[in-house]
Amino acid sequence: MSDLIRLKIDGQELTCEKGVNVLEAAKQIGAPISYFCYHPGLSSPAVCRQCLVEVKGQPKLVPSCYTPVAENMEVLTQSEKVLTARQQMLEFTLANHPVDCPICDKAGECTLQKMYSEWDGSHSRIDMDKKHKPKVKDLGPHIVLDAERCILCTRCIRVCNEVAKDPQLTMAWRGDREQLTTSPGEQLDNPYSINTVDVCPVGALTSKDFRFSMRAWELYTTPSVCTGCATGCSDEIHHAKGEIHRLVPRENPDVNKFWMCDEGRFTYKEVRVRRVAVSQLKGQVASFKSAISTAAKGLLSLIDAKQMQLAGIVLNAQASNEDNYVLAKVARALGIENVYLAGRPDQPDFADDILRKSDRNPNTFGARAIGEWMGKPKTTAQLADDLNRGALKALWMLGDHIALDERAVGALDRLEVAIYQSPHENFISEHVSVLLPASGWAEIDGTVTNFKGITQRLRASVEPPGEARPHHELIAMVAAELGVAIEYPNTKSIFFEMSKTVPAFGHASFGREAPPIQLRFAGSRG
Amino acid sequence: MEPVFKKRVSKATILKLQRKNSFEQSMMLPAVVKGLGVTLRHFFNNVAGGERSEAVTVQYPEEKFPYPPRYRGLHRLMHREDGAVRCVACMCCPTACPAHCITIIPEETGNGNEKRPAVFEIDELRCIVCGLCVEACPCDAIRMDTGAHAHPSENRANAILNKIDLLKNATLNDKDPHSTAIQGGVPAWRDTNKTP
Repeated sequence: MSDLIRLKIDGQELTCEKGVNVLEAAKQIGAPISYFCYHPGLSSPAVCRQCLVEVKGQPKLVPSCYTPVAENMEVLTQSEKVLTARQQMLEFTLANHPVDCPICDKAGECTLQKMYSEWDGSHSRIDMDKKHKPKVKDLGPHIVLDAERCILCTRCIRVCNEVAKDPQLTMAWRGDREQLTTSPGEQLDNPYSINTVDVCPVGALTSKDFRFSMRAWELYTTPSVCTGCATGCSDEIHHAKGEIHRLVPRENPDVNKFWMCDEGRFTYKEVRVRRVAVSQLKGQVASFKSAISTAAKGLLSLIDAKQMQLAGIVLNAQASNEDNYVLAKVARALGIENVYLAGRPDQPDFADDILRKSDRNPNTFGARAIGEWMGKPKTTAQLADDLNRGALKALWMLGDHIALDERAVGALDRLEVAIYQSPHENFISEHVSVLLPASGWAEIDGTVTNFKGITQRLRASVEPPGEARPHHELIAMVAAELGVAIEYPNTKSIFFEMSKTVPAFGHASFGREAPPIQLRFAGSRG
Repeated sequence: MEPVFKKRVSKATILKLQRKNSFEQSMMLPAVVKGLGVTLRHFFNNVAGGERSEAVTVQYPEEKFPYPPRYRGLHRLMHREDGAVRCVACMCCPTACPAHCITIIPEETGNGNEKRPAVFEIDELRCIVCGLCVEACPCDAIRMDTGAHAHPSENRANAILNKIDLLKNATLNDKDPHSTAIQGGVPAWRDTNKTP
């Protein structure tokens, strides 16, 4: 017997797989069903009763999120009975809701707000005082609860139980006194706690980081990828007026489903910290042109002396595939054979078996693939060794982080030319002869490849500070002075060339263009 | 009257007429005297005429023209009963503002009011005095009923009113600086005769 089931929803016939619930089936044909407690990434407890539908042959309305499809089932989602139930359930949900939308942080991306305007829109008929509950309840290091706004959908509890696998939240009391609270002796401090804010259909749970900083409708959203670890969760950068305000997860069934860890969300804070905005020559601020020509001259002297075996490049797992590829291509043209791979050091205590990986670099896979295309890439430890031995005279490094110890960093001072392209100032930038300002991950277009080999697209959301520009542009400028003409109209052209030449990217796609859209047109996210 | 000169130029015709050359017209004196009489009549009526005075001039700034009650003047920010700023930094007014002249940076209060503006600035040079901010405000925190004009200033920075200035403006019109509005409006719809 086949696993496909045929049923009718609102008179329209469709087939879907066995085990799917009616709500998901209805989504296929676009039949509008409202819901609060159901979430595609979580189990269905059917507590909000908002998704009630009529099934022919059943005496009562059934919750569509909890009812699996059955052969020859006939479902009505728009009958008068269903619409009345939907409106009445909404009225019940709103009975004790404070309706303080103008001062609520969720306003503009709130499911309840949207449902009310879609399905109800009438005045409250309750003429007694609303039930009062704690307004600012501290649940943990990142989360604040407004118990009055809570509609008791239990999505947050299920996120803790099923995603973070750490049951820290529970419902206490009953009836109109029921409210969300932490389990006895617990705090909401698991590494996935801010997902509870994302799934909250109202403004009950708010993140302390984002709380009161911005209204949702002022934000623009740009799809991108988290650069916090090798998982590369798909995310959305929410930004306004050239500043990033938060990162939220984006649905991607292959990588992160609907979730993202708290640490990853806070990576946006580093974007503007200790930036390199102007170029420097041996620690002194220099003009951009002179920095480029100094870098080129340093390499030219080696080329003239035919000492290219003393030159090396460092590919970085924190830079995009395109940036690494362009540097590798220039190195090939110049005859440089020493290729090193760098990145942040492993952090074993960061890893878990949910999403987080001990490798804190977004593009280890891609950088290695490009290194292997070049030849035999060496590790950072070998780089430190070569520096200490004095086996190198020139080094061209991509930033940001290169895990070198103090002795090896000190050895950078003795190099004839050390070109370092970095978005951030760090312990290496003081020891290099040429420091070029590069754009950070939120400011570039490009791709990164995660630990599974899935290539995803980074998209520029904010402008880089000062003279900073993408790595590949800096490389092309230095290369032009060396007589290696490399010019690409955009990042896409680099990617297409790379996907033809580097075998590891043969099947990767660059992804569609996604200009920033204002969140008020993107619909509610609850 | 016969023209003394007539010439056709392309599509138009030029005519030159001879004026009637009387003595009165060439002197113009009687008309001048007549006009001066009208002026003098109005002058004496207005200065010494009492009831018959027709003067409408307002002696600004000693005397001011009464503005209509809904005249939109300089903004003011209202206080709460305890003197704190009434605004909850909901950002409805900068959202509604067509001139983008309102800047608010919110902060947490730490008390039951939860949120207030840390910075509240209105650029009175940009403001087009449309009053949409007042209509958008859910808390009756911003009003334009001071009846005052935007102050002249010597540089642009002085035309930007900050939170302190706007809170001071609360006393411009009212003796009582506190807003008397009920938070959330008057619940007329709770009248059970009106709603089922």
